[in-house]
Amino acid sequence: MIGKTAQRQGRLFLAPTVILLLCFTIFPLLFTIALMFGEARFVGGGLRIEFVGGRNWVRLFGDERFWNALGVTVRIVAMAVSLEYLLGLGLALLLDRKLRGQAVFRVLFIVPMLLTPIAVGYMWRMIFDVGRGPITGILERLGLAPVGWLTESSVAIYSIVITDIWQWTPFMFLILYAALQAIPKDYIEAARVDGASGWQVFRRITLPLLAPASIAAVLLRTIECFKIVDTIYIMTGGGPGRSTESMTLFGYAIGFRAFDLDYGATISFSLFLAVLVSSMVFVTLTRRLREVRME
Amino acid sequence: MRWKLVVGCFLAVLGTAWGVAQTGRFAGVTITVFTQPPPYIAKPVMMFAPDWERITGAKVRLITAPWGELYPKMYSSFALGQGLFDIVIMPAAWLPDFAEAGFLVPLDDLIAKDPAIEWNDIIPVYRERIVSWGGKVYAVPMDGDSHIFYYRKDALENPEYQARFKAKYGYDLPVPPRTWKQVRDIAEFFHGWDWDGDGVMNYGVVEPRRYAGQADWCFFSRAVGYVALPGQPGGLFFDPVTMKPRINSPGHIKALEDYVEIMKFGVPGMINMDSGEVRSVFASGVAAMAIDWGDIGVISEVGKESKVKGKVGYAVLPGSMEVWNFAQNQWVTLKEPNQAGYLAFGGWVAAIDRNSKNIAAAYDFISYLSRPANSYISVTTSETGFNPYRKSHFETLAGWIGFGFGRDAAAAYLKAINDTIGHPNVQPDLRIPGAAKYFEALDAQLALVVAGQKTPKAALDEVARIWEQITEEYGRAAQLKAYRLSLGLPSP
Repeated sequence: MIGKTAQRQGRLFLAPTVILLLCFTIFPLLFTIALMFGEARFVGGGLRIEFVGGRNWVRLFGDERFWNALGVTVRIVAMAVSLEYLLGLGLALLLDRKLRGQAVFRVLFIVPMLLTPIAVGYMWRMIFDVGRGPITGILERLGLAPVGWLTESSVAIYSIVITDIWQWTPFMFLILYAALQAIPKDYIEAARVDGASGWQVFRRITLPLLAPASIAAVLLRTIECFKIVDTIYIMTGGGPGRSTESMTLFGYAIGFRAFDLDYGATISFSLFLAVLVSSMVFVTLTRRLREVRME
Repeated sequence: MRWKLVVGCFLAVLGTAWGVAQTGRFAGVTITVFTQPPPYIAKPVMMFAPDWERITGAKVRLITAPWGELYPKMYSSFALGQGLFDIVIMPAAWLPDFAEAGFLVPLDDLIAKDPAIEWNDIIPVYRERIVSWGGKVYAVPMDGDSHIFYYRKDALENPEYQARFKAKYGYDLPVPPRTWKQVRDIAEFFHGWDWDGDGVMNYGVVEPRRYAGQADWCFFSRAVGYVALPGQPGGLFFDPVTMKPRINSPGHIKALEDYVEIMKFGVPGMINMDSGEVRSVFASGVAAMAIDWGDIGVISEVGKESKVKGKVGYAVLPGSMEVWNFAQNQWVTLKEPNQAGYLAFGGWVAAIDRNSKNIAAAYDFISYLSRPANSYISVTTSETGFNPYRKSHFETLAGWIGFGFGRDAAAAYLKAINDTIGHPNVQPDLRIPGAAKYFEALDAQLALVVAGQKTPKAALDEVARIWEQITEEYGRAAQLKAYRLSLGLPSP
């Protein structure tokens, strides 16, 4: 039995956390929800939110720009995260072997992840510059026509994906490399004694044992990648046209350039829902896959 | 001799007494100034605050926020009556939103009692239109903003090139060009070859075309010559009688077609350039012409990396011989090009929160910043972001020469700005509640047009549709009244 004094003390200790949580998470969330179902106007010396029901959601679902932004975001997430996983896994497997200069490679591989996305955006913007960038110079020396990496609608999204892969593959590498190091060597040695080939060891032992780390890594990157904004903002500003306008950039434009707070809040919340649904689908699918394998 | 000594002593005592009185005028008061982070715009506050603090005994606290957070933070502070900032230094376009809502202190009486501000030295368009709302003054100009036209003199004035141009186009190469048609031909002529002989490829023009990169102002700089017929107010944005958008008029469509076509003669990658990049690209010497605020002039003449110092010509924006007449609903042909200037953005202005507890001190600091001598230093110092807006800024070249301009360059630069803002048909920027929403809708469609994803007509029709929605949202009658006020027209 916990005494009343102890209960009171417990509440007292919890209070700061609860207050912080309320201030920085719950209240902003409630305010965002209020904005989504209202029309926010600064009138007569105060912020007035008039209830308008689902008007902002109707507008959202009928907004061509929203569907474009959602499509762009999903394409970036799908391409970037899957390639980051494959490359990260490849690098992790490479460094899991005994290599000369392994420690140096390990440090080098994680450097891009340590840079701020803004700096990375500027760097790749210079690299991809169609007029003065080094890639254009190389292509010209090879007698090839320059490519509008950031200036052609059909190409720009791949430039964004390349940049994201460059920066965030190290994240995948780091998690997968740590997980590889944790796999007991006995399993692999036993399999080899039983005559398993390298591919069989990888497919039947390494990969299943990496599954928990893989799921965590992919999930975390998916959530982060859905929110991609800084590199795009610097590299293309969402253009050409709307070919690289992500959900976050769209929300930023509406909320902070047009100062349309209620619609901006609706876009932000729709991004939250998109991330939530994607994550749930991913977790459910991977769980099913594991269950099927177990059976 | 004795009387001189007596007068001298008297003046000394008087001066000391005045000085002592001044020292304590606002002792113990702290005023808060809110604007964007330094250097641009905040720098003059940092430059002059120590002197003002010494004179008045007050303290200045500078609070800054990134561009995207300025408006919401100002608005929420005003609207919620928090009084977080005594002074806000903001874009002139936001003044109608704040003044209409009653958030700002009217400054007429304070200005009338303040000879030091030399109010009449401020160019009329700024002191009468940009900072006033509903017949009252709500802010003091800190910066004079207008788009001007830049060209490379060493290219356009080269006799050999002029002869070749005439042979190709059948008319003399006009220096400076006076119509957008001429600009197009000149851009084509100087595109894709090394006309300055430095071993680097040169191009016709450089202008921003990036979404959220201030390209929308460049569009209006082109449109103004096609739609701002002298004597017909409101050509650029709305019908001042019905508040119906004019953005999809044949004049605007023609301007947008030009805006897209000139990209063929632009620096590679121009579609992804914002104003900041355009400035450094022009100063790097690769482009023959550009449109910008006063910044290209400063960067070109003063910038350490500039390769075009002394080679830049300055002019008012080109225009058009054919202008869309909204009254007759048809094109009219003029005898001279219609080169109406455009006060793009309108400049930064300083205003006082009506909830401020230090209105007198706040006004005194604003006045101190804007006084002729101090503002002259601001507009002739790098990285302040302030361009000339007082008559006196144009009268003395010494400061500009000290800044790094050559004498001729300074004279030409100031003349282009002065001619623009003093033009009888100069067009102010959109100054009504929701201006940011209207501009965002336009900017988003311009991005689609330059990417080839929409035609100019389809895009501007869409803009007109969205503008109608925004007008309805804010209330047509209220917006019409505000729009007419912004144009200096009587209420409907």
